[in-house]
Parts: sequence; C-alpha cells; structure tokens
Amino acid sequence: MKSRFTRLAGVVVVLALVLAACGGDDAEETTTMAGEVDETTTTAAPGETTTAATGGDVDPNTGLPMIDPLDVTGDIVTAGSSTVFPLSEAVTALFEDEGYGGQITIDSIGSGAGFERFCEAGESDISNASRPIEQEEIDLCAGIDRTVMEFRVGTDALAVVVSSGNYFVESLTLAELAIAFSTAETWADVNPDFPAHPIAVFSPGTDSGTFDSFVEEVFEEDPEPLLAGDPQLSEDDNVLVQGVSGDGCTEGDLATACGIAYFGFAYYTENADVIHPVAIEGVVPSEDTVNDNSYPLSRPLFIYSAEEILAEKPQVADFIAFYLNRVGEVIGDVGYFVAPADAIQVGADAWLAAVGS
Amino acid sequence: MTSKTVSVEAGDWYKKRRRPGEFVVRAFLLISGALSIATTIGIVVVLAREALLFFMDPEVTLSEFVTGTNWQPTIQQFGIFPLVLATLIVTGIALVVAIPLGLASAIYLSEYARPRVRAVIKPILEVLAGIPTVVYGYFALTFMTPLLRSVFGIATVEIFNTASAGIVIGILIIPLVSSLAEDALYAVPRSFKEAAYGLGATRFEVATRIVFPAALSGVTAAIVIAASRAIGETMVVALASGATPRNFTWGEDPLFGYILNPFVAGETMTGHIVRISGGDLSYNSIDYTSIFAIGLTLFLITLGLNVLSRRFVERFRETYE
Repeated sequence: MKSRFTRLAGVVVVLALVLAACGGDDAEETTTMAGEVDETTTTAAPGETTTAATGGDVDPNTGLPMIDPLDVTGDIVTAGSSTVFPLSEAVTALFEDEGYGGQITIDSIGSGAGFERFCEAGESDISNASRPIEQEEIDLCAGIDRTVMEFRVGTDALAVVVSSGNYFVESLTLAELAIAFSTAETWADVNPDFPAHPIAVFSPGTDSGTFDSFVEEVFEEDPEPLLAGDPQLSEDDNVLVQGVSGDGCTEGDLATACGIAYFGFAYYTENADVIHPVAIEGVVPSEDTVNDNSYPLSRPLFIYSAEEILAEKPQVADFIAFYLNRVGEVIGDVGYFVAPADAIQVGADAWLAAVGS
Repeated sequence: MTSKTVSVEAGDWYKKRRRPGEFVVRAFLLISGALSIATTIGIVVVLAREALLFFMDPEVTLSEFVTGTNWQPTIQQFGIFPLVLATLIVTGIALVVAIPLGLASAIYLSEYARPRVRAVIKPILEVLAGIPTVVYGYFALTFMTPLLRSVFGIATVEIFNTASAGIVIGILIIPLVSSLAEDALYAVPRSFKEAAYGLGATRFEVATRIVFPAALSGVTAAIVIAASRAIGETMVVALASGATPRNFTWGEDPLFGYILNPFVAGETMTGHIVRISGGDLSYNSIDYTSIFAIGLTLFLITLGLNVLSRRFVERFRETYE
C-alpha cells in the first residue's frame, strides 16, 4: 500500500501544512516553528474551537482527560501499518491544528515491521497495527522492558470490487472468492451460473497488511494459491482501481475479461463511481454490517504503546488520550468505521490505570 | 599577464618551478574522475554481494534462476525468464518504433532540411527528451492503451500490456536516436556528398548510399544507447505494462497467444524492482535479495550490449581526414 506515490503525497501534505502555517498569522507560525508554547500565542491563536480545558475536564465518552495540544511539548515517533497510517495522519493533523508544536513522525512500514521497530529496536513510541499483536511480539517487547498496551481505534473493512461494467456478480461466498482469486480461468469456474468471461485478478502487494488479512480470511494464511494464480499485484491501490475499472467487461462479448480486486474500504468509497462492491456471503459492507460483525472481511485497527513509555513521555500519553477522544471526528473522512464504544473504552480504562489521573 | 611572466623568466624556464595552483587543479580533476569509477565499483560490489546472498539461499538454484519460467519469490519460484522476456518484448517494440522514426528524422535533418528549418526542428524534437517519464507512463496507460483497444478490440488488449508501454518508450527514445544519429550523419565529410552529386546522384541516393553507410558506426552507437535506455526505463513499464511477471509453463500456455503476446500484461525487470521495493520489504527476506539478483542480471545485459556495440563500432569505424 505504501508506494512512492503515497510517500510523495506525504511530502506534499507536509509542505502544504508548513505553507499553511506560514500563511497564517505570525503568532501561529511561531508556535508551529519553535515547538514551544508561550502565553501570547495561546491568547492570540484565532479560531480556537477546543474546549480549552487544561486541567480537570473529562471527556464524557471515554472518561479520559481532555487534552489541549497547546500544552503538549516533545516529539512523538510512530510507525506501523499502512492501513492505520491515514487515520493517524488525520488525528495528527487535528492535534497540530489545535496547537501541538512538537514533531510527530508516522512511518508507514506495515504492521509487522512496525512491531519489529517497537519491540526489537525500541525506536518508536507508538506502533500502528491492522491486526492484534502476537504473543511472540509481546514477549519481545517485555525483553526490552516495554509492557504492551493496546488501544482499539477503529475498524477497516476489505472491499471486494468488480468493474461497473460487470453485469453478473452481485454476491460471492468466501469459497467462491477463494476460487476466483486462485485457480479460476473464467468466471464460470467460480460459479457455473456466471458467464464464461476470462477473469482478471488484482491484489495489493505481498508486503501490505491488506494482502495479509485477505490471505488470512480467505486462504487460511497460505498465500500460495493466490500467488500461483498470478494476480496483478501492486502496492499502489490506484493501480488496482485502474486495472479493475478498465477491464473492458462487456455483456454479450465473452472474450472480454472481467476483473475482480480487493482493497481497503476507503479506496472503494473514493472510487465508487467506477467500481462496484460485491456482497460477501450476501452481506454488503457498510457501517452496520461491519459493526455487528456480519460482514466477514473486516478487521480491527489498533495503536500500541507501553506503560513505561506513557510514564516517561507525557506527550505520548497525551497524544493517545487525544486520539481516543477525537478519532470519531475524522475516521469517517478517512473511510474507516468507528470502533464499538466498549472496545475503545477498554483502551481508555487501561490508559487511566497506567497514567492514573 | 602570463606572457609577461614567461618573458621575464624566459632565461631559466627549464628550472623546475612549483605551481601549487596547477597541483590543486590536477588533484581535483583526478579525484572527480576517480569518484565516478569508485561509485561504479561500489555499485557492482553491492549488487554482487546481495545477489550472492540470494543465490546462497538453499531454496534457490542457479539452473532454476536461468531456466525457470515462473517468478514469485514469496512462494519460492525463482525463474527470472518471464521478467527478462517482458523486458525484451518491451525493448523490441520500442526499437521497432524508434529506429525507423528516429533515423528518418535524422536523415531529414542532416540531408534535406534547410539550416533554418533544422535550427527550429532539432530543439523541438529534443524537448521530447525533457518530458518526465512518469508523464509518458500515464500517456501509455490513459491514451495508448485505449487507442490500441479501439484498434485491436477490447477483448484482445488487456488494460496493462507490453505493447502500449513499448510503443510509448519507443516515442520516448526517438530524440535519442535522431539526435545522436544526426550528429553522426552530419559529421560525414562534405567532399563525399559533393563527389556523389557531381556524379549525378539524387539526394535520396546520397543519403542512403553514401552518407548513411559512412556514418554506420555512429548510427549503431546511437541505436545501442537508445536500446540501453529502453531496457532500463522504469516508470513507463511500472505504470502501463503490468504488475505481475508473465509466468507460464512451456507447452501448456500458447506461445503466441500468451507467452509472446504483446497485448498481455507482463512485468519487466525494472518494473518488478520498483514495485517490490515500493512495498514494506524487510531486509532479510528473499524478496529483498532477489531484487539484487534481478539488478545484477539487468546490469549484465546492458554491459553485454555495450561491449558488443563497442566491438561493432571499432570494426566498422571509418576515419576521414
């Protein structure tokens, strides 16, 4: 998922933020640049919409203290899942908009590599992940004196899509999905009721978390059947969208190929005009079906940190509290689903127990 | 200034004189030259070392690497042939486009165009070389592929295919061919042409029978450089020619319908490297070291091409007074 385009886009976003900061009034610029908070900027900062609560006020939903980013100093290093990346980016943008003056780095390197950096190298403060941490990784973390804390921040659904020219696929079972993404030569191999158009398969690349979770859900963690079918693989989801939407699928012409692809739900919503979602086991992906767990291809999104880090670096604790309080405001725009309130609450309670306020 | 100094000291000019400035310049030039050689050596060493790691992996055998027809390192398939084949198909198509067009425009510019026309057209042609290749990539994907589809049918031409990438790379290297070939043609001594005209030759005869053969070695060099450029071109194939190796089985997959079909998707060596390294590779995975094995292969191919062309040029070079 992370491609040079995303990286470039990241640079552009950063530049845009810097420019935006420079374009604002001088007081604001000082805040962003110097990374320190002084009294004048606090009073001069225009358009502040926070509750401006620094002490005592508590978020009614999570029970966590309200964080005023103006009071937060120090840098934060995060790394991990490319799926969580846009969400963390959105929360960070909010955090910075409201006055945080330090540096947050978000490296999009994949969940596994993120845990490697967090638990082996110990270089990151927060690890983003699109799957729960494994016992092995928890043990590694314990080895460098990090007691892992898990915070659920949202839910992603994998969307299986066909082109809008595809006139016959509405719903697939998980078994049909496995055939379509491995041995099928034509759609008739997937289901005898389908016309025998050649099937063109598009999949995110083998290093993405999306690939891992698809293989886990559909192929029981064995990537071989999927790869042996020679799908078009790309880390760039736009390539997949272009591939599947341009398949040329035409009713009445059995020589035209009809494509199928899967990727994060966000990419489907962005390209809904050229591609068509497929219901899995009869269930269409939507907020309701994801939250009641009836849609089979959904997965939780997490951020991880450690008790020791929260104690040592108050800015990390503040950022996580801010994240849990405010993630609901941005998650819809990013294209994911709000996590169930009780799942978020588990993280919030762990935070309160660790920080103790 | 200098002449004055010389004349003053003319009497003892043969005595050794220290010129610190001269020494500094000389050292600087030497270091600059050595730096680029050192860089090349460094690259080769890194390539070879990481590629060696790949070949030392117990899963990998050299014979599979050379003869295998499936490349998918994640599931232990290590036959590089599909990647090489796609590179050759794309390069071949590019050369089929670029050689006639490039040479024709070179001949026009050097033999037919009036100096004023030449002064305008040549820079315009060279502007083509200044377009970023990523733009060419999207040109292939959003213009050339639909064009091919409207000509050959949407069922024949896949959305990602080697033909559209090849044609666009051909367009991309036209300025390279025409510019270098034109220089070679232009360097043919005027007396040759005048002699031919004097014997009653037409312009076309002069261009094709006199000038072109005389400039053959230079023209070949131009084509080889263009071919190396086409082999190494990355962005266009990454965007337009497909994102998976065209894996196949001899005897099972049709030779012309699939294996050599230009309208089917096929990932080239460069395209594969850029796609794999765009992901989140961990350093000690076989996918990571496989990149260097591909890079080494690519390096050997272009090196071979350059050595061949050098021999060719030396053999056919004509020197004129």
